[in-house]
Amino acid sequence: MEDVIGVRRPRVDAPDKVAGVTRYAADGHVHGLLHARLVLSTEAHGLIRAIDTDAALEVPGVVAVLAAADLPTATQGTDRTAEPLAREEVVFAGQPVAIVVAESEAAAEDAAELVFVDYEPLEPVLDVESAMTQGAPLARRVEAGTDSGDLESIHAGADHGQADEAAEELSGNVLDRIHRTRGDAAAALAASDAVASGTFRTPWIYQAYIEPQVATAWLEPSGTLVVSTATQGSFVTRSELARAYGLPLERIRVVAEPLGGAFGGKFALVEPLAVGAALALRRPVRLVLTRTEDFAATNPESAQVTELTVGARKDGTLTAFSGRMIVDRGTNAGWGVEGITSLLVAGPYRWEAFDVTGYGVQTNRFTFGAYRGPGAPTAAFAMESLLDELAAELGIDPLELRLKNALVEGDQGVTGRVPTFGAVEVLEAVSAHPLWARRDSLPEDEGIGVAAGYWPGGNEPAAAVCRIDTDGTMTVVSSAVDMTGVDTGFATIAAAAFGLPPEQVRVVAADTSTGPYAGGSGGSKVTYTVGRAVQRAAEAAREKLLAAASEELEIGPGDLEVVDGVVRAVGAPDRSITVQELAQKTLRFGGRYEPIEGHGGSAQVSQAPSVAAHLAHVRVDRETGEVEVLDYVIAQDVGRALNPALVEGQMRGGVAQAIGWALYEELVHDEDGRLLTGSFLDYAIPTADRLPRIETVMVEVPAPDGPFGAKGIGEAPVVPGPAAIANAVHAATGVRFRELPMTAPRVWAALGGRGEPNSDALML
Amino acid sequence: MIPATFDYVRASSVEDALEALAVPDARLLAGGQSLLPAMKLRIARPSLLVDIGGLGLSGVEERDAALVIGALTTWDELDRAEVLRRPAYRAVSECAARIGDLQVRNLGTIGGSLAHADPAADMPAVLLALAATVRARSTEGEREVPAGELATGPFTTTLGPAELITEVALPIPPPGSGSAYVAVEHPASGFALAGAAALVGEDGSSRVALTGVGATPFVLDGKLDAAEIYGDRFAPEEYRRGLARTVLARAVALATKRAEEDSRWKT
Repeated sequence: MEDVIGVRRPRVDAPDKVAGVTRYAADGHVHGLLHARLVLSTEAHGLIRAIDTDAALEVPGVVAVLAAADLPTATQGTDRTAEPLAREEVVFAGQPVAIVVAESEAAAEDAAELVFVDYEPLEPVLDVESAMTQGAPLARRVEAGTDSGDLESIHAGADHGQADEAAEELSGNVLDRIHRTRGDAAAALAASDAVASGTFRTPWIYQAYIEPQVATAWLEPSGTLVVSTATQGSFVTRSELARAYGLPLERIRVVAEPLGGAFGGKFALVEPLAVGAALALRRPVRLVLTRTEDFAATNPESAQVTELTVGARKDGTLTAFSGRMIVDRGTNAGWGVEGITSLLVAGPYRWEAFDVTGYGVQTNRFTFGAYRGPGAPTAAFAMESLLDELAAELGIDPLELRLKNALVEGDQGVTGRVPTFGAVEVLEAVSAHPLWARRDSLPEDEGIGVAAGYWPGGNEPAAAVCRIDTDGTMTVVSSAVDMTGVDTGFATIAAAAFGLPPEQVRVVAADTSTGPYAGGSGGSKVTYTVGRAVQRAAEAAREKLLAAASEELEIGPGDLEVVDGVVRAVGAPDRSITVQELAQKTLRFGGRYEPIEGHGGSAQVSQAPSVAAHLAHVRVDRETGEVEVLDYVIAQDVGRALNPALVEGQMRGGVAQAIGWALYEELVHDEDGRLLTGSFLDYAIPTADRLPRIETVMVEVPAPDGPFGAKGIGEAPVVPGPAAIANAVHAATGVRFRELPMTAPRVWAALGGRGEPNSDALML
Repeated sequence: MIPATFDYVRASSVEDALEALAVPDARLLAGGQSLLPAMKLRIARPSLLVDIGGLGLSGVEERDAALVIGALTTWDELDRAEVLRRPAYRAVSECAARIGDLQVRNLGTIGGSLAHADPAADMPAVLLALAATVRARSTEGEREVPAGELATGPFTTTLGPAELITEVALPIPPPGSGSAYVAVEHPASGFALAGAAALVGEDGSSRVALTGVGATPFVLDGKLDAAEIYGDRFAPEEYRRGLARTVLARAVALATKRAEEDSRWKT
C-alpha cells in the first residue's frame, strides 16, 4: 500500500485526452441522427403571443420546429426540467422557446433564424434588492410550480436554519428566507472593541467549461429511452427525465459520457430538450449548444449582495457577526445558495454569537446553477475582507487574528461540533511561508494578502463493484462521473485495498441500467463517499481472493498477504500464487471458486470539511489599473493525498478560477436584461499567460472515515482566493474593493485615475 | 456557429481573384482569422469566398528605399523576420508578436487585418506611426493609399468591392530611429483598449499613432485632450483617455531607448 497511496501518477484518462481519441458526448455516431438548434428568448420577461414557424419549415432538411406544447411533458412545474421550452411566459433572455430539428446542423441553424416569436414584453425584474420589497413587480407572473425535483440535494446540503417567528414584509420574488442565529449577536457586537462592516457584491459567474452542454437522445425499438450526455450525474438525470416526461425509471437509460469540464453546471439542463424532441419525433436527436447559447441559456453562479458586520475584542478574539445575504437566483424556483452561503460566511472561525439571514430572490436573469463551491467564495470575500479591517483596527497581524480564532476539532461551529479540521495547520503553513515574511519589504504598489475559507463536503450513499479478470487485472465499475481525477483516485484506492499495482486497475463508467448507484459528481463528495465504496468493494473482492488462495496454498486466509498481484504466505513469500492464476481457476467451466468480485457500499454520515489558506502577492499598475498576480501560495488540508499530482492540480485550478473571480469574470446584462458578455470576446477568464506560478502546500490531516484518510478537496481551493487577492490589492494601494471583479478600469477609477487616490472612490 | 451558405473559389492569380470578386457580395479570404468567426456568427454573410492564400503575396524585404511587406505575410512571419529586428522597425515585430495566440498568428495576415479595419486592431497604429503606404490592385490598375487614409470608420475602408491589397511599404527610417508599440488589452478579447505606436528619430522628433480609442486608428497631431476618444461599458471614455496617455508615454520612452540602440545597429 505504501507504494500506491500518495504516489504521483498520471491521470488514467489523460493519454486518450491528450491524443484526442476520447469520445465526448457530441462525438458518438447514432444512426439516423437529427440535429437540434434552439430558438432563445430575446426578451428578459414577456408573454409569448405567437411563434411563426412557416419560413423555418420551408428550409430544406428541416424536420420539425417544436414549441412547448409539442413536447410530451408530464408536469406543470416551471423549472428547467419540467418546462424545457417556455410555455406562455419567458422569464429570462436566453430561455429556450423553440427547438428546430433538421437533418443537418447547418439546416437547423438556417431555420432557427427564421423562427419568429411575437412577445408581449413585461417589465423585467433585474435589481435583486428592489425585487425583494413588498409591491415590487414579480419576475414570474404565471404561478410557479412547486414540483422542483431533487437537484438541490446534489450539492452540499444546508439545513434551513431556524423557524422564524417575525416574518418580514417581502415581495413574492423572495422564494426562500433562511435565518440563522445563536446567542445575542447585537449585544456581542455592541460590546466589541472593534467592529467592521460593509456591503459586498459579486456578479453572475459563468462556469466556462471547455465542452459546451450537449445531449443526444433516442428510443430503442423496445421503447427504452437512451440519453447519451455530458452530465455530472447519471442517476439524477434519469430521475429528472422521469419526472419531466412521466416515464418509469426502468424505461430510461442515461449514459454519462466523458466530461469536458462542468464545475457544477451540468445537471439535467439540456437533456430534457433533446429528450423532448426525440420523444415527439421518435427519432434520435442531438443538441449541442454553441458557446454563445451556452453563455445565454445555461445556469451560471448567482450574483450576491452580502451586508456583513463583524466584531472582535482588543485581544483579537472574534465576538459575533450579523448580516443579510441576498442571493439572485434568477429564475431558479427550485433551489439557491442562500442556505449554504449563510452557513459558510462564518468562515473557519469560532464565534460567540451570530445572526444572519439568507434570501433567495427570483429575477429575470438566467437560471441559477452551481459553480465550484457555490456561495462560498462570495461569503469568504465579505468575511475575510472585514477580518483584515478588524486586524488593522486592533493592530494585530491579520494571520495571527485568524489563527487565534481558527476552529479546531470539538469546537462549536455554526452547524454544531467541528469534526477533524485543518484550519490551524493551513494557517500555520502560510504563516511560515517565506512569501508572508516579505509583506513589509515590498516595492511600491505591491501587496500581499491572506485569506482562509473552507468547504464542508457532502455525503450521499454510493456503491461500487470490483472484478478480477483472467489476466489478473481489476475492473472497477462505478457510476460516478469522472470529473477531474475521480477514476484515477478510484484506481489508486482499489489497488491499495486489494494489493495490485494501480496500472493493473481500470475504472469503467457504468450507465444507469447496469451500474451500482452513485450520486452526482459534485459537492466534493465523490472520493469521500464513492471512494469509500470502492475501497470496500476491493476489500470484498480480496476476501474472495484469499478464500480461493487459502484452499490452493492450504494456508489460513489470515496468514496470507497480497503484494503486487501475488498472494503469499506472511513470512514465507515463496509459498505464493498469483492473482492471475487464481482468477483463471475461478472463471472457467467447472471452476471451484466464486469469481473474485466484490460489491461495496458506503453511507457516510461524518463530515470531512477541507480548509484552505491563500497568500496572494500582487502588483497594481496605477496608470492602467491592471492588477498582476505575481506569486501565489495555497495551503490546503487535503486529508490524505491519494495522488499528490492530482490534488495539486485541483489546488492550482481552484486558484486560477479564484483569480477569475477576483479580477476578470462578470456576466453583465443591459438595462433590458439582455446579456452583454455572451462570448469569450467579452467575458474574460484568466488564461495561462495571466496566471502566476502557484505554489501548493498540501497539509495532510487525515479524515477518519475517508478512504485511506482522503477527503473531498475540489471546492475548497477556490473559496478564499478572491478575498486573498482583494486583501493584497488593499495592501498594495490602500483601497478596499467591496465589489468584484476588480477590473482594470474599476481599479483605475478607485485610485482616482493616474494614481492619485481619490477619497470619493475609496470604498473604505 | 455554422456560417450561412456560401460559395468558395481558390484564386490562381491576382487577376483571377479580381475577376472572381465581380460577384456581388464576394469577399476575399486571406488568413480568415476575423472573417471566418464573423461568418460563423452570421455577422458576415458573403455569397462567395475568394481564397487568395495561394497567391504568394508574402514576405518582408527592403526594396527601392522601402521596407516592403507582402499582404499575405502572417503575424508569425513578421514576429520572426530578421530584418525587423532593427530597433527602428521593432514596433512591427513587437506588435505582431502580441496579436491573438500562436494559432491566429500562424494564419492571420497583415493585409487581411488592414482590409478588415477593426478599430481596435494593433498593427494599423504601427503602420501609421511608420508612415506606411498600402498598395492595392483592382481591374483599374494599382494605386497607393497612405495607411491613414485606408480606414474610414469601424470595419469600413476606401477599398472597392473588387480591390485587393498586395503589399504595404514603409519608408526606411534614417539610422538612429527607434520604434515601439505598447498596448493595454481587453482581458477577454485581447484587442487593444488603447494601443500606441511611436517612431522616434535621432533628433528626438517623434510620430505617434493610437488605436482602440476611436473609430479608426489615427496619428496624433495635437494634444490628446483634444482628441475624440471612444468609451464603452467596460472601458469608459475617461479611462481610455488615461490609458492612451499612458501607452503613448510608454511607447515614446521605449522608442527613444531603441533610437539609441539603432545608431549602433549593424545590419
